Amino acid sequence: MCRTTDRVVFVAALGCAVIACGVLLSIVAAIAIRGLPAVSWHFLTEQIRLVGAAGGIFYNLVGTLLLIATAGAISTPLAMGIALTHSYYLPEGRARRNLSLLLYALNGTPSILFGIAGLIIFVKYFGWGKSWLSGGILLGFLILPTVTVSLVERIKVLPGKYIEAAAGLGLTRSQIVSSVVLPQSMSGLITGLLLGLARAAGETAPIMFTATIFAGATFPAGVKESPVLSMPYHIFILCQDSYDPGVSAKVWGTATVLLGLVFLLSLIVLPMRLKVHEEAKNA
Amino acid sequence: MHDALPIVEAEKVCVPAEPEGPALLETRGLCVWAGNRALIRNVNLKIAAKQVFGLIGPSGAGKSTLLKCLNRLIELTPGLRIEGEVLLHGKSIYDRAVDADGLRGRIGILFQQPVVFPKSIYQNVIFGVRHLGVVKQHDWPAVAERALSESALWDEVKDRLKEPASRLSVGQQQRLCLARTLANEPEVILMDEPTSALDPRSAGAIEELILRLKSQRTIVLVTHNIPQARRLADWLACLCVNEGVGEVMETACCDKLLDNPSCQGVVEYLRAGEPEGRG
Repeated sequence: MCRTTDRVVFVAALGCAVIACGVLLSIVAAIAIRGLPAVSWHFLTEQIRLVGAAGGIFYNLVGTLLLIATAGAISTPLAMGIALTHSYYLPEGRARRNLSLLLYALNGTPSILFGIAGLIIFVKYFGWGKSWLSGGILLGFLILPTVTVSLVERIKVLPGKYIEAAAGLGLTRSQIVSSVVLPQSMSGLITGLLLGLARAAGETAPIMFTATIFAGATFPAGVKESPVLSMPYHIFILCQDSYDPGVSAKVWGTATVLLGLVFLLSLIVLPMRLKVHEEAKNA
Repeated sequence: MHDALPIVEAEKVCVPAEPEGPALLETRGLCVWAGNRALIRNVNLKIAAKQVFGLIGPSGAGKSTLLKCLNRLIELTPGLRIEGEVLLHGKSIYDRAVDADGLRGRIGILFQQPVVFPKSIYQNVIFGVRHLGVVKQHDWPAVAERALSESALWDEVKDRLKEPASRLSVGQQQRLCLARTLANEPEVILMDEPTSALDPRSAGAIEELILRLKSQRTIVLVTHNIPQARRLADWLACLCVNEGVGEVMETACCDKLLDNPSCQGVVEYLRAGEPEGRG
């Protein structure tokens, strides 16, 4: 009886894993099969022509990279500040728990609400119109919980003996933070950052009202009225009205490039994550 | 020799002895509280300059807690309250005007397990110096050489200062930690069972260093190892657990305390540690 239950649980668990992997693999395969033929050097280096039916996605790639680079630049210092406040300056107890709660709430906020907030604050109130900077800031806040939590987790496993040893040598608290805590938890920051950026690269909702247009933008020259093209928005618009088979090939191609970018970001993280696990195991 | 330990009635009051000469470091009525539970109680010690002052006693008697009170490292542990006074050159180190970080630069500490930072050997030695800002950058290499020589490590590492410190053996790492503390030119060095994680040879090297260092500096040594206390310490204080709280039962010059203790708690501790010289 007990063995039968064990079997059933095992098979059910295995089934769940197979389903999840199967869905992922079939999505990747479906996109790659249709998209790879469209991807070429010209596709990556030419700009959009004939309303997406011809040409490439150069400026979409540039726009997406600019957006996630800005998001990274915005979220890195904020995440460091919040993580240090959380793990080092706040006393253990209610204040810390509340800060964690706030981060989880931010993480659970639907991304379209970020878009609407950006529309109200940056587009209307600041009068920026559509700007790459508003998109970057919004995406930066969107991934802030991911980056922060990853850094906090890394700081948590930092052996207390290092802090004690540094304090024993007469270092002040800020010196300990800059010379011990931050350098030794960099891997957590980078892991969280790349995972966050992988997510940010594919987000459409926060940038569609605030930062990105479908065609006609190149490198932004300033902040005001300086939109960029982007890959997810490109896919979104073309999917909505693509009856033309030429267009649909371009959509699959764009999706493949986006997927490749996200995979690449996640892949860079992998060795770092493994290293952290290894350290935790040895500690 | 231990067989001849005199048995003294438990009631007998211990009379704390004091080292001769003016005290460099002194505690007066020192208590440490965790909430409303005392960890150590009413510790009165006088530690003379350029001596090895040993702290012995059973596990859990608060030797490490007491040690960390002496350079305010105890304040890093949240939830503890310190009462009483610790005086360095007659001035309270817990005074509000005292800069705790600066104080820790002058009263160094060596832990049971060597703690090397994941940096090069050289970077480890100058870790404290570079942040304290007393020594100029172009003097760092000289400081590193002096400190490494003083901790008898220079000859072993002079050709590989840029290698990661983690490649050193544990014994070398402990000497590196000592060098790192020495680079700060501390007046006092606190040592929390510095040899208990080491093999006998490395432990011997550290013991030799301690004897050499005491001509220049004051050392407060926590040890579990009674033969080691006998070899190194000039004065000893024995902490025992009394009613669940760590108390200094007896202080005396080393041989007096070990051969002729006047306090029942100390007698019991020494007897329990007799077989292999450990408590």
